[in-house]
Amino acid sequence: MIDDEYFLAALRLAAGADPPPAHVAAAAREVYGLRVAGSLTAAPVAEAALTGAGARGDDGSHLVRFVADGLTFDLEVTVGDGLIDVAGQVLPHPGEDTLVDVRTPHLTLSRRISRNGCFAATGVPPGWLSVVCHRPGHAPVQTRWVRIRP
Amino acid sequence: MHPQRAPAELLRAAADGDRSAWDALEAAYGPLMWAVARASGLGAADAADVVQGGWLRLLQRLEDIREPERLGSWLATVVRREALQVLREGSRSGVHVLATVEEPEPGAAVLGDDDRQLLWKAVSTMHEPCRTLLQLVAIDLGSRQTAARLGLPIGSVGPTRARCLEKLRTLISSQEMAQ
Repeated sequence: MIDDEYFLAALRLAAGADPPPAHVAAAAREVYGLRVAGSLTAAPVAEAALTGAGARGDDGSHLVRFVADGLTFDLEVTVGDGLIDVAGQVLPHPGEDTLVDVRTPHLTLSRRISRNGCFAATGVPPGWLSVVCHRPGHAPVQTRWVRIRP
Repeated sequence: MHPQRAPAELLRAAADGDRSAWDALEAAYGPLMWAVARASGLGAADAADVVQGGWLRLLQRLEDIREPERLGSWLATVVRREALQVLREGSRSGVHVLATVEEPEPGAAVLGDDDRQLLWKAVSTMHEPCRTLLQLVAIDLGSRQTAARLGLPIGSVGPTRARCLEKLRTLISSQEMAQ
């Protein structure tokens, strides 16, 4: 039955036998530190809309595209040795002095983008990841969070 | 902590930079999200991951939750869908974008405080083996021990549980209709 999980969850809550561990509650509270005031959120483009090899490259990399506020974010994620590398491009070029943050819940790597809109971050821990583009004079644009499993 | 503040107010305050409002949201809905993740069949590590994803999603939606009074159902829906996605993926590596949830699934309403109490009372009125079986399910006893406690073959615990949940669903529906 489609909603069994909700019934079971309600029973579990009522019994109180499996409360969330303290570190789960702490992680939830820490999420607030990732708030980007006044930002826009870029939505993912359907995988079918991606060209070429689609969402998965020949080398095992994964391509995800997000769009918002006239900007397109292409993220190529490569998983290896338990860590991930992120190579990205923002188009059209968002202008000089633009900063891109590659973020996980515990780590933010800031990058200036190249003349062709590219940026990269290596050795990022797997898990949740988002990219924020800071353009002078514009609202920040952040991608929706993606979950990366090694 | 502000347990008396309505979800709409907490969302608005958190969007305006009030960390205590966010903490109040976590206190109000964190246990619910955890219960949904675990009830969906996830182990502790995956459940923690999925619950964190639910909070990350909320952080990006603070200003555009359509029905704040149904925030609990919305968060439960986000967590359930993400949990099912994790189960589908298994141990495969990959990249998954958090799903869009606009409307909460209707079934999530059972997680509201009032409905939850109604549900627990309804279980206590059920005949055996459903009453004991659902109480054991609620404490996550596991199929083997549940079978031993109830004197059932282990293979029949799953089907019996499904039948008991269906009976519970019928019971709740009839109680709601009587109100």
